[in-house]
Amino acid sequence: MKRILYLVQKEFRQILRQKIYLSLIFVMPFIQIVVMGFAITTDVKNITVAVVDHDYSFMSRRFIDAFTQTGYFDLKSIGRSIKEAENAMQQGDVKLIIQIPFDFEKNVKNGKQPQLQVIVDGVDGNTAGIVLAYTNQITAMLQREWGSEINAEPADLRLVDVETRMVYNPMLDSVYNITPGILAVMLMVVTSFLTGMSIVREKEIGTLEQLMVTPVKKIEMILGKTIPILIVGFLLFNVGMLGIGFIFGLWIKGNLFTLYLMVVFYCFSTLGLGIFASTLAKTQQQAMFIAWFFMIFAILLSGFFIPVENMPDFVQVITLLNPVRFFMVVIREIYLKGTEIRYLWEEGLAMLILGLITFTSASMNFHKRIT
Amino acid sequence: MSQSEYAVYVENLSRCFGSFKAVSDVSFKVKSGEIFGFLGANGAGKTTTIRMLCGLLMPSSGNAVIAGYNVFTDAEKIKHNIGYMAQRFSLYEDLTVKENIEFYGGVYGLSRKQIKIKTEELLDYLKLWDHADKLTLSLPLGWKQRIALSTALLHDPGIIFLDEPTSGVDPESRRNFWTLIYQLSGKGKTIFVTTHYMDEAGFCNRLSIMKDGKIIELDQPKVLKRKYNANSMQKVFMSVIKGKKT
Amino acid sequence: MNKILYSIVIKEFKHIFRDSQTLVIVLLMPLVMLFLFGYAITLEMRNIDIAVIDYSKTPQSRRFIENILATDFFKVKHTDISLNRVEQLFFERKAICAAVIPGDFAKNLYKNKRANIQLIIDASDPNAANYIKNYFNQISMMYNSEINLQFGRLFSVEPRIFYNPDLKSDYFFVPGLIAVIVLLISALLTSIAIVREKETGSIEQILVSPVKPVQIIIGKVIPYTVLAFAISVSILLFGYFWFNVPLEGSILLLLGSLILYIVTGLSLGLIVSTVTDSQQVAMMATLLLTILPTIMLSGFIFPVKSMPTVFQYVSLIIPATHFLEIIRGIMLKGNTFFDLKIQLGYLAAISILLIALSVKKFSTKLE
Repeated sequence: MKRILYLVQKEFRQILRQKIYLSLIFVMPFIQIVVMGFAITTDVKNITVAVVDHDYSFMSRRFIDAFTQTGYFDLKSIGRSIKEAENAMQQGDVKLIIQIPFDFEKNVKNGKQPQLQVIVDGVDGNTAGIVLAYTNQITAMLQREWGSEINAEPADLRLVDVETRMVYNPMLDSVYNITPGILAVMLMVVTSFLTGMSIVREKEIGTLEQLMVTPVKKIEMILGKTIPILIVGFLLFNVGMLGIGFIFGLWIKGNLFTLYLMVVFYCFSTLGLGIFASTLAKTQQQAMFIAWFFMIFAILLSGFFIPVENMPDFVQVITLLNPVRFFMVVIREIYLKGTEIRYLWEEGLAMLILGLITFTSASMNFHKRIT
Repeated sequence: MSQSEYAVYVENLSRCFGSFKAVSDVSFKVKSGEIFGFLGANGAGKTTTIRMLCGLLMPSSGNAVIAGYNVFTDAEKIKHNIGYMAQRFSLYEDLTVKENIEFYGGVYGLSRKQIKIKTEELLDYLKLWDHADKLTLSLPLGWKQRIALSTALLHDPGIIFLDEPTSGVDPESRRNFWTLIYQLSGKGKTIFVTTHYMDEAGFCNRLSIMKDGKIIELDQPKVLKRKYNANSMQKVFMSVIKGKKT
Repeated sequence: MNKILYSIVIKEFKHIFRDSQTLVIVLLMPLVMLFLFGYAITLEMRNIDIAVIDYSKTPQSRRFIENILATDFFKVKHTDISLNRVEQLFFERKAICAAVIPGDFAKNLYKNKRANIQLIIDASDPNAANYIKNYFNQISMMYNSEINLQFGRLFSVEPRIFYNPDLKSDYFFVPGLIAVIVLLISALLTSIAIVREKETGSIEQILVSPVKPVQIIIGKVIPYTVLAFAISVSILLFGYFWFNVPLEGSILLLLGSLILYIVTGLSLGLIVSTVTDSQQVAMMATLLLTILPTIMLSGFIFPVKSMPTVFQYVSLIIPATHFLEIIRGIMLKGNTFFDLKIQLGYLAAISILLIALSVKKFSTKLE
């Protein structure tokens, strides 16, 4: 076991000597946190609107204002030609068209129930759905406002109001959701990627062969590779947490040590994955392709921005193979809700099992002989 | 003599890669303290043989006993008793000379104190004190080879396997290297060395010549010279290779 | 001159076909990815676990609950629990929202004409929270119009949805995935192609021959364009036949812009490969340059318009941003060349710039 110390010491000496490598490891996370934290917002904003107003009345004005006042819409044009508006939509310049008919105001007041038309660009189904929801809300609001104004509201109109309370993230800030997610992805990329690469590198320069003729045990070689990277990953994780705290003011709500424990479980599975991948790959090029595929797979099927619950069942089953999926839940729960470990043990266990599987298959594939 | 009394005992050893037979039916015995040479063109099967003897490569068939241990069953025990220097330079270039020695010492299970003593001995011997804290990357190839050999000897193995240790090194460094080999042999170590330099082949106690995975000649250099009526190993080699062709 | 070019192209093709293992990976992986992610990436939510706490227990409150049950959006998981249990449910992730109908619900509705329902949402996923809020509001609006049937509304809104009337996620994401995959593949392929020759030293052999840098680069680009084009067409067909994504516009325009986009991806790979010296670094750089920006900043998932202004400018230099508009425009909206001339112009400009840069870099390296 004393040998591991020497292996770890060697690994650290090599890491510390590569300045570019080091700065890459510690600067990249910051760039990612800043870029993604600021850029990614799941709010739908700046929806471009063209209004075709055939009425030009007080009420049609009010209708348009009600949209712009929400702050979600960006009024591009008010005109009279539906053809022009539809052309603008065809070219992607506007996402929403509101068409207000002739005599809109007059008909509202006469109780003739005029019909407004809204046309939504449905290419982005998600955005379109949200636009329609906004539209419904604005419509409902105006119904009431005008109802009481023109005294059309009957005495026994009865209404239910929904009072919404958002817990854990009252401002619905995307940063709350995205930044802990970045930490999870980053930790996976660094631990599995660095492990795999450093093994493939030693294979290529021939030092791995030299190690194979020494009495070092297989398990010692594996631990000697993984412990330093675990430590680097752990440091990186903390740097990332501080970054998120100082840049976005988001600090961990739950127990830090629970999170640390989970980080260890998580890294157990990702490190195993890295070693396993390095035993599969024959050339660096293949190693990279494998890594690339795993990375996209791990990110998209982790629930990072597409909730796993939305996916079809067979895809949900596949996600069970993805350690990131479990850690994604754990880190968000602990970070945002302060969830205690007794509600998270299933995820912890799942990561541990994945770790056992990858480590076992990695050490079965990792030989002290050349194949 | 029984199998385990030889430093290296090899009988009908073969290794196939798919349908290609890299080494076929090789047999020889090496006594303790001997310098045993392996001569052959590239691809003759020298490296494959040496890898099998070091426990790096599983033989397809045959039998081999190194330092009393069987390569099939006791590969890990063999590793305590041998030193190995690969064809490719195998020190960590991003570590210093001292750090490399410390690392391999540690890997071979030496104590801190032993490592310290060994390091001093080696640096004295190789006259490398001035370069002890320099990255291995910056040293000339001849020095690197001697350091690599020295680190392969840190655990005082009885048998040393050298796979083309001097390829690409200038003549002076090669001479120095062979001086080192003779000194080791003088201390009773068994040296197993592959080469494609004819002059070096002549330095061995016994020499085997390989072609297409087979040993086609094995004897003392002077006996071989007499047999083929040649005055240099170069001529011996050419006659052996040609002789077997026809 | 053309003969030299021809022999470089042939040589490169031989390289591609010799390494059959990598070729299989390169050909199959995009299809697997499209298949898997075509299903996986959907922002449509359904089966949201909701806890309903009914303190009112009146016909009115039950009618409201029936409205919740009637949709397939919500799945009522827990009823008749105490309010204190809600937080625990959130921790256990057995519900992500809870509707609380107060005890005076029916009384308020009839006496005061106004009644409140409280909706508590676990907002740790803000996008989901927003969705739930909107959906629940619609349920309450429906309830309101049900209980006030005798009163007509002042006006009505007729919504129409163009291009994707069922708001299908795959119509949005399958063309998007094609854009992402094609860029990654084409950039990766070329970035290794040149660096590999640098590593093995065979580039010096070519350099001593009377070949111009431009010829080498064009010779490299042509075979990979063909390969990447074959891959793109295969995933396009897969998207068309398997996911039934419509093709409203001209197929020729689509294929033409696909070639332009591939060239952009290849030139991105080229510039990387002329700057770096090892396959490992080249791959890393390509991955960093492609994966993050193409997935995050191009409008693949998150609309560019919703980003802060700085990033909207950044997105302009990402090829995928433009191609996403092109491919979605052609496939879903039936856009013509004139609708897309700006986006096509951007792609052409980016490619020309990158190729010019790499030719320049490449030539100076020789001297």
